[in-house]
Amino acid sequence: MTHGVTEDGRAASGRSRVWIGHVARCLLGAVFLAAGLLKALDPLEFARQIAEYGIVGPGLAALAAPLFITLECALGVALVAGFRPRITLASGALLLLGFIGIETYAISIGKTQSCGCFGAYVQRTPGQVIMEDLLFVGLALVALWGLRGWGGTRGRLPAAVLLAGTALSLAFVLASPYLPIDPLVTKLAVGRSLEDLGLAGKVPGLGEGRHLVALLDVTDPGAAELGARLNEAVEKGGGPGIVALTPATAEDTAAYLWSAAPAFDIHPVDRPVLKRLYRRLPRFFVVENGRVTAVLDGPPLAGHSLISSEAS
Amino acid sequence: MKPLVTHPSPGRRARIILAAAVLLAFPVSARAAELLCQPNYDFCIEVDGAFPGGARFFNTQERRKYFIDIPSTRAGLLMDLEAKKMFAVPRSQIRPDGDSGLKVQDGLPPGTTAYAFSIDGPIIQFEAEDKKVRVMPVLMRPPVVGEIAMDALIADRPEYQAGMKRYSPDPTGMTALSKYSKPIELEVYFATWCSHCKIYMPKLLRVLKDAHNPNIKVTLVGLPKKFTDEKGPWRKPDIQTIPTVIVKSGDREITRLGTHEGAVPEIEFAGILQALK
Repeated sequence: MTHGVTEDGRAASGRSRVWIGHVARCLLGAVFLAAGLLKALDPLEFARQIAEYGIVGPGLAALAAPLFITLECALGVALVAGFRPRITLASGALLLLGFIGIETYAISIGKTQSCGCFGAYVQRTPGQVIMEDLLFVGLALVALWGLRGWGGTRGRLPAAVLLAGTALSLAFVLASPYLPIDPLVTKLAVGRSLEDLGLAGKVPGLGEGRHLVALLDVTDPGAAELGARLNEAVEKGGGPGIVALTPATAEDTAAYLWSAAPAFDIHPVDRPVLKRLYRRLPRFFVVENGRVTAVLDGPPLAGHSLISSEAS
Repeated sequence: MKPLVTHPSPGRRARIILAAAVLLAFPVSARAAELLCQPNYDFCIEVDGAFPGGARFFNTQERRKYFIDIPSTRAGLLMDLEAKKMFAVPRSQIRPDGDSGLKVQDGLPPGTTAYAFSIDGPIIQFEAEDKKVRVMPVLMRPPVVGEIAMDALIADRPEYQAGMKRYSPDPTGMTALSKYSKPIELEVYFATWCSHCKIYMPKLLRVLKDAHNPNIKVTLVGLPKKFTDEKGPWRKPDIQTIPTVIVKSGDREITRLGTHEGAVPEIEFAGILQALK
């Protein structure tokens, strides 16, 4: 009898181990999928973040960003679908170790110790990201332990799902910047208040009256021409007051101020605050007594009547 | 054929006479529009390699015109970005407006001295009255590095002075700070090149100045730009963000103040002191 109990116990323990492995596999798959999809909503920003580490230049970062995102989505799909679990789990753990290496490099170059301009707003420091990634590596190891001896989901379906998932995610990443998903991705939408946008108290006078707010990248080569068009609108008169907000540094803003001579106010706003309002710049919106009444996406000012006094 | 000279109709003649009478009774003022100048502490003025305390940069209601006041020059300087010129404005055309503003008569007579200026990225440079002048973002000014006394820091940085003036500390917090009777120390690590410090430091300085409590010992340490690479008193404490305000009692770190944008130093500090009682 004792022998039977032991065997039952072993079998139950084995079943638990497999279940733990499956849960860990699916959790890790969901993490990769979520991470990939969230990045896919704004791949240009992810490319900028890669370039900020200084390991690769902006050109290579622009190429690496969609590939990384697709890789993450593909790993997520493969893990959830149970396709070759040992290979996908090991690849996932390796990718995470790679991320940990990058974050460690970020710490070594003093990225956490830059001015509060960085530290005061970004909630997840490289140190925190390392801890998170270590946790996910642990999850991968748990899944490998739990699923040892499991060969994965049988049949052609997992491979087909992986192929379709990879193709779809790559297509989405490439198309994402051009898709009209800004209202879903950004905080900027009609009816939102300046508090909702994180701009309350940041720009003097913006809460009263009617203003056309231009979100500008003053370092963009087209910013001077756009400034000239906004200057024309100011000189023409009759429209709302124009205020430009830029995520650029004080130095870049000053350089624009002297060279483009804007006839409108321009305020540098912390990038993490402003980034929540756009995926690509420029972007425009009308704010009336502290509330957004119109949002303009697409070619700046072309064919739009936002600057006319009748627009609402 | 149309006559070269036409005689006005009786009605039109009456209107002309009326207009002439109005002009005689109320002559049009020869004074040109005034520029209302408000100090802009985002920029500073370097004159011959130094940063004179009284030199100030002003915005005007005309967005592309700025005014520069250097006390040691005979004239004020009106920078016109459209004309790409810096015009000398006689002091007789400049008068104070309110607490810190100026009113400048914009209509400059013909032959007014004008200087050319050059733009080098964020810096505008020119020569006026044999002085080499540069206008630059205040965060680009050579930083305060190392330990500095509070009064010296305030005297050196007009942007901090202006921020202190604007800030209204919470009276309850201030009462608690001014009455605290045990020795406590604040170690403040800040950078004059950091935009967050430009917002936070004036608030903290105003609070400490107004509290006027000899039990609160304050040590201010300015950080260089590459403070992670350079040796200095900032190396020992683990500084993750700037500014960092360490609260110490008996040489032991108790806690650090939050220095985010909406931070209210007097309330947070008073809360810590209350807990220490």
